[in-house]
Amino acid sequence: MEFEVLARCHTTRARVSRMKLAHGVTMLPTFMPVATQAAIKGLTAQQVEALGITLILNNTYHLNLRPGTEVLKEAGGAHQFQGWRRNLLTDSGGFQLVSLNKFTKITEEGALFESPFTGEPTMLTPEESISIQHAIGSDIMMQLDDVGKFSHSLLHTLTTGPRVGEAMWRTIRWLDRCIEFHEKSGRSHQNLFAIVQGGIDSVLRDQCLNEMIKRKDRVAGYAIGGLSGGEEKDVFWRIIKQCADRLPADRPRYSMGIGFAEDLLVCVALGVDMADCVFPTRTARFGVALTFSGPINLRLGKHAADLQPIDGTCPCPTCSDGTSRAMLHHIITLETAGAHALTQHNIVFEARVMGGAREAIMNGNFPDYLKTFFANYFGDAGYPEWCVNALRSVGVDLLEDRPDTKVISGDGTVWEYSDRA
Amino acid sequence: MTDPYSQPRFIPNIALRSASSAELPLFGPRLARLGVQRPDGSPPLEVYTPALITATSRGVVPHLSRDHVRTTQAIRWVHVPFESLYALRVTPHAWELYVAACNPDAVVALSDTPFTPHPHSQKRLTKSIERSAIWLLETLKAQKKGAIPVAEDTDIPQGRHSNVFVHMAGGGSAQARTAFSQSMLEPLETRELEQLKPLQRLDDGVAGYIFDLVPLHQALSAKERTAPSIPDESHNAMNTITPRAEDSSHTSPELQNLLKASLHDLPPHKPRLVNSARSPHEILRLIRDVGIDLFDGHWAQRAADIGVALDFCFPAPAHSAEPRKSGILGPRRRDDGANDLGHNLYNAAYAHDHSRLASCYLDTVSSQKNADSAVSPSAGLRICPCAACSPVAPSAYITHSSVDKLSYTDEMGPPESKRYLPPFTRSYIHHLLHTHEMSAHSLLVMHNLSVMDAFFAGVRSVLESPSGGDTFGEKVDEFVQMYDESMVVFDEATVDWAEVERARGKGRMAREKIKQAESSLGRALDL
Ligand SMILES: [Zn+2]
Ligand SMILES: [Zn+2]
Repeated sequence: MEFEVLARCHTTRARVSRMKLAHGVTMLPTFMPVATQAAIKGLTAQQVEALGITLILNNTYHLNLRPGTEVLKEAGGAHQFQGWRRNLLTDSGGFQLVSLNKFTKITEEGALFESPFTGEPTMLTPEESISIQHAIGSDIMMQLDDVGKFSHSLLHTLTTGPRVGEAMWRTIRWLDRCIEFHEKSGRSHQNLFAIVQGGIDSVLRDQCLNEMIKRKDRVAGYAIGGLSGGEEKDVFWRIIKQCADRLPADRPRYSMGIGFAEDLLVCVALGVDMADCVFPTRTARFGVALTFSGPINLRLGKHAADLQPIDGTCPCPTCSDGTSRAMLHHIITLETAGAHALTQHNIVFEARVMGGAREAIMNGNFPDYLKTFFANYFGDAGYPEWCVNALRSVGVDLLEDRPDTKVISGDGTVWEYSDRA
Repeated sequence: MTDPYSQPRFIPNIALRSASSAELPLFGPRLARLGVQRPDGSPPLEVYTPALITATSRGVVPHLSRDHVRTTQAIRWVHVPFESLYALRVTPHAWELYVAACNPDAVVALSDTPFTPHPHSQKRLTKSIERSAIWLLETLKAQKKGAIPVAEDTDIPQGRHSNVFVHMAGGGSAQARTAFSQSMLEPLETRELEQLKPLQRLDDGVAGYIFDLVPLHQALSAKERTAPSIPDESHNAMNTITPRAEDSSHTSPELQNLLKASLHDLPPHKPRLVNSARSPHEILRLIRDVGIDLFDGHWAQRAADIGVALDFCFPAPAHSAEPRKSGILGPRRRDDGANDLGHNLYNAAYAHDHSRLASCYLDTVSSQKNADSAVSPSAGLRICPCAACSPVAPSAYITHSSVDKLSYTDEMGPPESKRYLPPFTRSYIHHLLHTHEMSAHSLLVMHNLSVMDAFFAGVRSVLESPSGGDTFGEKVDEFVQMYDESMVVFDEATVDWAEVERARGKGRMAREKIKQAESSLGRALDL
């Protein structure tokens, strides 16, 4: 990997970088659309590429089940299999394994689970995870991490308590095993990322950072894991900041599972370079179009006779072709083509949010970009307090020129107003 | 006959012209050119017939995004979304908005097709004919009204044409069908004559004739047994065309007689469109014996829905072994010696099959490679230009910041000329089908429509040959001989499709909704 920081924001921790991998150059910060099963919902690889996307994500857990490593090897890897010419990132499979299987047992050796096909006990070890990612041929691979014990009643992983410390230390040991296995494979065109764990415990996070920074020369980048599992947003941003502040400047930083526009921009301001989430593509299938003035729900009757496109300034195929909100209202949830049209738009929206950040950082006006974005996106309905706090921590006061702006405490930014247009 | 191209008046501006100096025959194969003069002055749309017309649902080609519709060469003429049209006709304002938004080349008059079990009483048929004629009249009036500009800032042309296609009514009775056609030829009453000026008869405003084969097949089979009622479980699934349950039988002479009864008295120069033909075999017979000009892609689109990649061509290859010449496995050969019309990609046999979709057609990358080697095993095969077999590298990328150009240097940049990429494989689509990925259907729709387009191109090239009609008859026989008309492969695919759909279950949407709620973290996206 070639990684080069091209510009830094004068105020915040945001930066623009050029990341060169085996399948071309990706400009950071960037948002990665998720192609879980080797396809982005309803689109072809060429369509995604034309949207200006240079890095997508495949899920290791899913690809290992179907089509399986044998088929992927025959096809020459996941790039060839799905016709994707640009960069590809895979997760380790660990998170999905734990969240999609009821009876997963974490041992020192690996994660033990029931095969969904045969019901046989199956072990996913750190070595096995890397070996699967080798078969996939992803440009960026994630280490297998211990995401904590799965609780049957909760759909998210643990974030505090003794088990978190245990998981964090195990994650470090597993990182060493992943590094060993990967280095021996000789597949140097693939890059291994470490995942910083430690829940929401800042002491554990620091200990994890200490250990992982020591291994810097043997990892290509760092992910910040163990978040976006339902913790409070005010805790979330502090952990992101703690990690991003300490991670080496000459390595890309990846925040896993982040997809709301305001989350993306706060993370970028804190020094994050990459993020992924299924949100923009999933919400598209439910008729929600993301716009710079907030999400709009095209299923609502008010759009039935609206002949305007979603966003007249949007360069996506849907808007630039003049597809009206009325047409989308008419077909959404009934025709797959309606979902495709919104998926294309939402992917481009996320890319515009991040592209706008790159442009602003290059031009030295990223703080203004943040202010304009929040004003347009949240308007008079109120800014999320955690965003205000997080951005203040890096020197941007969103309320500077607008002291009367309502500030909404807690996590919830309720979107009912967003459809006001 | 008046020249519709030069007359911005209320008459059809769709014209079918014989491709040769000979007149278009009333019945029998017709090689022609269908022209649509667009009122905005853009170059006339031309379709050589017999040809494919793509079925739409709610105004879209199922499974295809607009950029795919534009890049699929097989989609030259998109079928007008008449269900939408009917829904929007409720208020005149909505109608005007709709016309402003779509500005269709042609509209389809609704017909009163009885949906009660066959056979129908004489009374019901008479009523159906009368009602269909009234609806045609109403559609013409509405079209005429559309000639008035609806708003100052719209560029709706002043002179609308009456490009109304009419469903030929009369059900399974030849007499009733003839009666309906004759009603279209009767002189208009005084009041209507004034309203529809300059039309003298309903037929003067009609651009072409449509036949829906589903009710006709049902009417004919009802004579032997009760029509099967298909429990429609997939009704709410995203635009899935419900698989047909009844057997595919040969196109009976009775069916052809019904179509001929409608056409016999009508002018032969208007295009004839058939919806929902059951097989390419049936299409060939309707071209050969009746003289149908246009067919919808319903059959091929349905094949895409159930995971079938079409793999056949017309004329059929000289030897059945020929499809294998390319080194790519052809469709399965059944015990009776007939070949499948395509591949059921749900089948586990395709999990490890990394070849392009069709053996009958080349992908562009392979053809470019073949061009370099003098002795090619697949010489003479046509290329399938679809986005599955011949994907094209984007000619442009959306850039989201000025530094993005660094991602598009050297060989990763926009190509100077069209750059083809390797085809999508059977194994990939097999994988997408089993993981319920919608991209499977997008790719299959484009491929299957392209195969149909090539099929019609094959039909036209045979008709163009000096011995025209005779050769065509022979080639039809060979085709019927070579390819399995009972379409066992469709039945097998339907079973596999239903199984995967069932496994996905009705819980799917509910699960998605839960996930959506989770991913919105308590935000109220009122869905
Ligand atoms: Zn858009
Ligand atoms: Zn094709």
